Amino acid sequence: MLGKVPVQALRGINLKVESGDFLSILGASGSGKSTLLNLIGALDKATEGKMLIEGTDVSTLNDNQLADLRRRIGFVFQFFNLIPRFTARENVELSMAIAGLSRSDRRKRAEELLETVGLRERMNHKPTELSGGEQQRVAIARALANNPKFLVMDEPTGNIDSKTAKEIICLIKKLNEKKAVTIIMVTHDQHLASQSKRIVQMSDGLITKEIVS
Amino acid sequence: MKAQDILSYSFGAIRLRKLRAGLTTLGVVIGIAAIVALLSITQGLQATITRQLQTGFATNTLIVSTGGGFGGGFGSNAEIGSAADSGFKLLINATQTINNITNVEMSMAIIQRAGWIRFNGTDHILTIVGVDFADYASIYSSIFVAESGVIPSDPEDETIVIGKRVSDLYNVSGTVEVLWTNATTLPPRNETYTGDVTAVLKEIGGFSVGGPSDSGVYIPISQAQSFFGTEECNTIIVRLRNDDTATIESVSKAIKEAFSDQVSVTSATAVLTILSSVFSIIQLFLAGIAAISLLVAGIGIMNIMIVSLMERTREIGILKALGMKNRTVLLVFLCESVVVGLIGAVIGIASGWALANIVAIVFRGGGVIMGNQAATAGGMTITPLLTPTVATLALIFGVGVSAIFALYPAWRASKLKPVEALRYE
Repeated sequence: MLGKVPVQALRGINLKVESGDFLSILGASGSGKSTLLNLIGALDKATEGKMLIEGTDVSTLNDNQLADLRRRIGFVFQFFNLIPRFTARENVELSMAIAGLSRSDRRKRAEELLETVGLRERMNHKPTELSGGEQQRVAIARALANNPKFLVMDEPTGNIDSKTAKEIICLIKKLNEKKAVTIIMVTHDQHLASQSKRIVQMSDGLITKEIVS
Repeated sequence: MKAQDILSYSFGAIRLRKLRAGLTTLGVVIGIAAIVALLSITQGLQATITRQLQTGFATNTLIVSTGGGFGGGFGSNAEIGSAADSGFKLLINATQTINNITNVEMSMAIIQRAGWIRFNGTDHILTIVGVDFADYASIYSSIFVAESGVIPSDPEDETIVIGKRVSDLYNVSGTVEVLWTNATTLPPRNETYTGDVTAVLKEIGGFSVGGPSDSGVYIPISQAQSFFGTEECNTIIVRLRNDDTATIESVSKAIKEAFSDQVSVTSATAVLTILSSVFSIIQLFLAGIAAISLLVAGIGIMNIMIVSLMERTREIGILKALGMKNRTVLLVFLCESVVVGLIGAVIGIASGWALANIVAIVFRGGGVIMGNQAATAGGMTITPLLTPTVATLALIFGVGVSAIFALYPAWRASKLKPVEALRYE
């Protein structure tokens, strides 16, 4: 739904993602990839069809159950979506605070995660004091905080320069290969897509091509 | 999310907009301060008046007067039955009739006239009261007491006893002329009574109904009779053997019957009852007015919360995307408002209390001497009274109003759809 006019963004998609997968979704603007990603990230509900996560149909869940589910999905946004008044560490801690972790536990884990994404030195800086790439790394650390089943990334390199984008790609790849994090990613970036194990091409709400490397 | 995390999240959001939060808090502060100040002043005033009435107007006394009660004001409300003004005269020797009534211990007559004293060539308008010094001192044993000098025992002497305020303000001592204008002769003539000030009363403070006051000038009743040229008195103070309601009622009835319903009888208990109900109404009224300002503050809170909600739509989207439940979003917003309400209420109670004390100090400096017939207001001492009940209610009220007005914005925040909230610019 966009405004009051119903738009059919997806028109019959059949997609299965296995644990440990690294899937890229490619497509032009308006091809429906963001809508698909919002469904996968449990931010939206499908009007028709089924969206199963570990066998549970998301469209049957109520608001509370959806919130619980979101805690186990790591979402990385194109525009980072960090809370501006919080430092990098506090932003990472926030998702754990929402999950109900104790202060000491989440502080320890936030520091570990920021170390993983290479931001240990910058963890007491606020988003405005960080570069785009650094902000995106904070967002990735935040997404990983609650040990998610999978990471959902919406154009993770869409708003950063190409040099930083390479670092982010490396980081994502490392997470998938070394830590066995399942990744589902929407991108325009051919280079980034080529790093993934599977590429799905979308057009007009349909999957038009699938490449398995 | 843990309660302490919700609280610290809300605090963070408040700190981010200090000026806005400060102004919102100020609204609550003004509302609560107004309520607390008004209530503590009126409660203090009530306590002061009640206390002074109880000392200056013993519970076992009745005041008998002609016609429409005594001293105007609340006296006319408090009388038990009213007598028509039909030229009836209450004479000094009526005390003999009253003394014969069962349960009456004693009674004494009082003659009062507006007049002035002349000292060192200066005139000061005052109330001149003729009383039997011995009887007066016996009925008002705690307040008709000399601070300096001696209250004269021989009623035939030309003596004067003055209130503390008369002494303090006009520095009166030695031989003094007391005057009043006799309008029964043509042309009206100023009558003069010359006497020695033999005693200054100790300070009584504030109100006195029937009893002695700080601004009174007292002369022996026998002297007053010839000075004022009358056998008529203004009031008769009756002391009963006890202060049972039954005794008060039966004696009041008996006195009225004895004078064919031409007199009115006032009891201290009745005055106190009326007084406390009048004060309840005043308090309710003032608190109601103050509550309106709190209502305005509440609307201010709602307004600010809605603006804040719009500004933070994206933030709410993020929180929901991270798995925050609707209920927690609601609590985060409510908590912000409750914190504002709580801080506002605490500051409001403190500043209301301070305001009440400032008003009390300003009041204390003032005060006037009135040439009134019976009720005399001296420098009224109000001690503001803040009961724990009022403080607690003010706190609950402040926090409650903040929470209620934040409920709608918080509910709207909690119902936002994450996808739409994240799309919001």
